[in-house]
Amino acid sequence: MLRLDGVQAGYDGTQVLWDVTLAAEKGAMTVLIGPNGAGKSTTLKVINGLVRPTRGHVVFQGEDITRTPAHERPGKGIAACPEGRRLFPLLTTEGNLRLGAYPKGARSSADETLTYVYELFPRLRERARVKAGRLSGGEQQMVGIGRALMSKPSILVLDEPSLGLAPKLVSEIFVKIRELREAGLTVLMVEQNAYAALRIADFGYVMQNGHVVKSGPPNQLLDLEELRKAYFAIP
Amino acid sequence: MKWPKLRAIGPSLWGIGVFLLVLGGLAPWIPRFPLTILVNLLIFAALAYSLNFITGLTGYVNFGHVVFMAVGAYTLGYTVGTIRLHPLGGVALGGLMALVLALGLGAVTLRFRGVYFAIASLVTPLAGLNIVLVLPALGGGQGILLNIGFDPLSWFYTIWAIIATEVGLTYWITHGRLGYGIRAIKSDEDAAKSLGVNAPRLKLFLFALSGLFAGATGGVYAWTTSGVFPEAAFDLTFSLRMLAMIVIGGMGTLLGPLIGAIAVYLPSRFFLTIFIGTESIIIGLVVIVIALFVPGGIVGTLRKYVPELRRILE
Repeated sequence: MLRLDGVQAGYDGTQVLWDVTLAAEKGAMTVLIGPNGAGKSTTLKVINGLVRPTRGHVVFQGEDITRTPAHERPGKGIAACPEGRRLFPLLTTEGNLRLGAYPKGARSSADETLTYVYELFPRLRERARVKAGRLSGGEQQMVGIGRALMSKPSILVLDEPSLGLAPKLVSEIFVKIRELREAGLTVLMVEQNAYAALRIADFGYVMQNGHVVKSGPPNQLLDLEELRKAYFAIP
Repeated sequence: MKWPKLRAIGPSLWGIGVFLLVLGGLAPWIPRFPLTILVNLLIFAALAYSLNFITGLTGYVNFGHVVFMAVGAYTLGYTVGTIRLHPLGGVALGGLMALVLALGLGAVTLRFRGVYFAIASLVTPLAGLNIVLVLPALGGGQGILLNIGFDPLSWFYTIWAIIATEVGLTYWITHGRLGYGIRAIKSDEDAAKSLGVNAPRLKLFLFALSGLFAGATGGVYAWTTSGVFPEAAFDLTFSLRMLAMIVIGGMGTLLGPLIGAIAVYLPSRFFLTIFIGTESIIIGLVVIVIALFVPGGIVGTLRKYVPELRRILE
């Protein structure tokens, strides 16, 4: 469904990604893991269009979208929940969610999608009139995911959904993400919390220093002894 | 789809509407001298509303706004001076010329963010002044002197119509889907783009509107002064005064520019004779104090601390 082919990218002359090739299959949950500074978030910025690759291609549903501007990508079906949520603090929960239905194709069905998001995260219905800046970290993450869902995406792209959350909330959020995947949504998730991410994934890529160094089904990645030690320090 | 109202609809728009209608109805009976003061006040209010489109709504601080005013003024000066166009035509053409300039300038400068945009915007009036100085058709350093008479009532209704349009447009833009997009841009432009908000186009649209109205107002200004003079037309302190008005009144609000214009223009009018030369210092100090302690300006601060007013002021 979504493919990166030999992508090289960076910021102002500092190259971050060196030949990244990966694919997110339709209906599957793909995770991208790796330590800090491996280039995971940059990879996602290439996917949502905020960073232009200097070389390589981004292909979505058979269409080359390498040069498609960021604001046109949600309309094509790519919904991103950026790192640190990036909510609009002065808008209410519902305002943030409704902004997610900004692309043309999502406007007419926004009310139904909103109901769906509220069913997925009942807590958000209670907090609908509260300014997003006043929500707790977990609630903000729910808004971030909900806002991405509002555009009725074909693929949901999540950047570090566990960032800054208590362990209990992390597993709650991950259960919800897995639910979305069970409901048929394609998910691509970047995570530092490799262990938790691999447990709900169908396929994983490991990044280090701007390269994809390993890929495979989660059990294979978890079994790699040296990976555990080198990247994740999981005993 | 139904977009929820960003704020309770109405009272502020009603208030401004009634205020404008009353002014419009009374105008023929106002003696000439107070009427010229009122026209000057409204010119500043119109400029503040025009700047509010870009700086108030998106947070892109434009120090070079005066350049649009100058383009409007020169367009009126040239067309009325050489081809004897009616001043109203000059005002309309002035707005159009400034709109075209804004589209061209904005296509380039709006790619910069934050302080870089502000710096880029600062350059344009300086460039404009130096271009005009070497153009004999625009009078070079002499400027253009017109002889179009003293007609405060026509000035009044022209500027009155400009403000009414600006207020209506501001209201229409901020209430609804566009308003959500603009708030998103002001708050976090990259996040807005990731949600599908066409930020470049929306910013250019607002910048063009801001140019259009500043240009038209510049035309009215040239009409009232019966001439255009380069040093005055590109005077950066005009830009600063407009900024001061929206900062003091409340950035991005519907009432802010009007309140700010009154708050800045009337005192400076009275202090003019008392503290000659210190006017800018006083305005500067007030802006610093407001930016430091009450960043929401008059309207924003009232909304924040007086919950009862939240439904009324916007």
